[in-house]
Amino acid sequence: MQLHHPARRDFRRAFFILALLALCGTAMAQPRGDAARGAVKAAACAACHGPEGRAPLPGMPALAGQQREFLETQLVLLREGLRNIPGMEGLLRQFNDRDLIDIAAYYSAAKPFTESGIRDPQKHAAGAAVSQGRACGSCHLSDYGGQRGIPRIINQREDYLAATLKAYRDDRRVGSDTNMNALMYGLGDQEIEALAHYLAHR
Amino acid sequence: MLTSTLRTLAGAAILAVMTIPPALAQQKPAAKPDPRVAMGGYHPERMDSKGLAPHATPITITAPENIPVNRLQVPPGFKVELWAHGSPGARMMARGDKGTVFQGSRAIGRVYAIREKDGKRVSQIIAEKLVQPNGVLFHNGSLYVAAINKVLRYDDIENNLDSIPTPVDMTEAFKLPPEVHHNWKFLALGPDGKIYIQVGSPCNLCEINPGVHGQIRRYNLDGSGMEIVARGVRNSVGFDFHPQTGELWFTDNGRDWAGEDVFEEELNRVPADKIGGHFGFPYCHANGQPDPDIRVPNACANVILPVITLGAHAAALGMRFYTGKMFPSEYQGAVIVARRGSWNRTVKNGYDVLRVNATADGKNPKVTPLVTGFLDKEKNAFWGRPVDVMQMPDGSMLVADEQNGAIYRVSYGK
Repeated sequence: MQLHHPARRDFRRAFFILALLALCGTAMAQPRGDAARGAVKAAACAACHGPEGRAPLPGMPALAGQQREFLETQLVLLREGLRNIPGMEGLLRQFNDRDLIDIAAYYSAAKPFTESGIRDPQKHAAGAAVSQGRACGSCHLSDYGGQRGIPRIINQREDYLAATLKAYRDDRRVGSDTNMNALMYGLGDQEIEALAHYLAHR
Repeated sequence: MLTSTLRTLAGAAILAVMTIPPALAQQKPAAKPDPRVAMGGYHPERMDSKGLAPHATPITITAPENIPVNRLQVPPGFKVELWAHGSPGARMMARGDKGTVFQGSRAIGRVYAIREKDGKRVSQIIAEKLVQPNGVLFHNGSLYVAAINKVLRYDDIENNLDSIPTPVDMTEAFKLPPEVHHNWKFLALGPDGKIYIQVGSPCNLCEINPGVHGQIRRYNLDGSGMEIVARGVRNSVGFDFHPQTGELWFTDNGRDWAGEDVFEEELNRVPADKIGGHFGFPYCHANGQPDPDIRVPNACANVILPVITLGAHAAALGMRFYTGKMFPSEYQGAVIVARRGSWNRTVKNGYDVLRVNATADGKNPKVTPLVTGFLDKEKNAFWGRPVDVMQMPDGSMLVADEQNGAIYRVSYGK
């Protein structure tokens, strides 16, 4: 069983490009990722996630305005089949690390998505209470905008949030660590749905 | 799911019979802890507002040009250089007889082999899609890999790197519990020829089933003959054996969400006459401080206290005793330990490699930095996270940096 992996190709290519930059005398601190290049690569994503990752389809996460480091990690987990979403591993196997970094740069720079559904005050209040009890703001920050490897969860699609939080609770979802599985443990469907409603309609 | 539950029940039953009085043997296996306890007791106010969150490890390749190894500082006469790169998320190290360096990982699920090929040092993926295969051990030509609930053995691995053989699955023999949190493994081979492996506590702070969690265990090479070597261990990700006494020394990480300066990480020693002794978790931390949330009378009675504490939240992980000839005499027999660095502290600390000198019975401990510069204290920012150390045959030390998927070599002299 010899494993071949795009990661190795990636490294050679990245090195070549850096060497070129150095030759041109322009090698200086660059922002991570090339959003323009990422936009081209992301054409493969638009069918489900929408142009600019604005999530037109039910159950599909909005990627626009998401934290860059979070996107990078998720893209690798999906490509490696560690986070198992049908279709995603096959789609992403064509991309090396640099491609994924560029795709993440593209989506993170896009204007954030806003959920357009109607806000239910009672459900909203119930969700706020759940969030308070689990101290979501500790990692995702008080505006739920996320930070670095911690995702933006405000204004995400409500159906996607609810499904994701339930998947964490039921150990069907992996993250970069296991804190979310521990935090969702013991919540009922109704509580999770309220939490999703609250976050989607902040 | 059902299989793993049955396995846990079976494992728990066997352990319970072996290790705890009959009155407690009816105890159920540890339930998944209440998340509020798991995150640090019923104190969400401690968690709000400061924005403290674990730093997710990048799992994309870092090019060597982007690894600022020149920022690293070592004592006079020492040198530090980039030795390997291109292994995202790579963590614990083991060295084969032919010089291959094997590395486990966590989220990215891979095991790497780093070797010389066609005159170049290359990193190769030899296993993937494993659940946090952090533990690696090389013995008698075989590579042992421990994932959360899987133990694999790759026989004659160094002669088969171009076509990785199907590993021997030893999972059933080791009977590790399925809980994921704090259960990424560390492996070491004891002077008794046994495999040492830890089973962490699956929470930040919680009551654990002492028959299952919070232990360091040892097994025969085939996974039989399990014995508990240390109890009350929260989350150890590093141990080694004293070069003179053969006693087990290990690092252990203190609980979070209790404050900026509590509770400190520990460097512990298991005295030969206290095999199976208790190291305090969850009732007693660091140098004998009772837990503020889970309170019991005489929390620290009969607890084996650490040789030394190694800073709050600093994450002291991989450690080895230095037995080489290259470094100066004050390094002989000293513990070299990697601190991955803090997340649950507003002012970051750790992010370095330390030397700890102590007597063989753990007295007169003294800490001296060996490698610093991963952390910019003025900016409160880090660029690298050392997680393991390993001595090479020439006496130099390798340091694994998880953040950059890199290994540095620390040497002394010309």
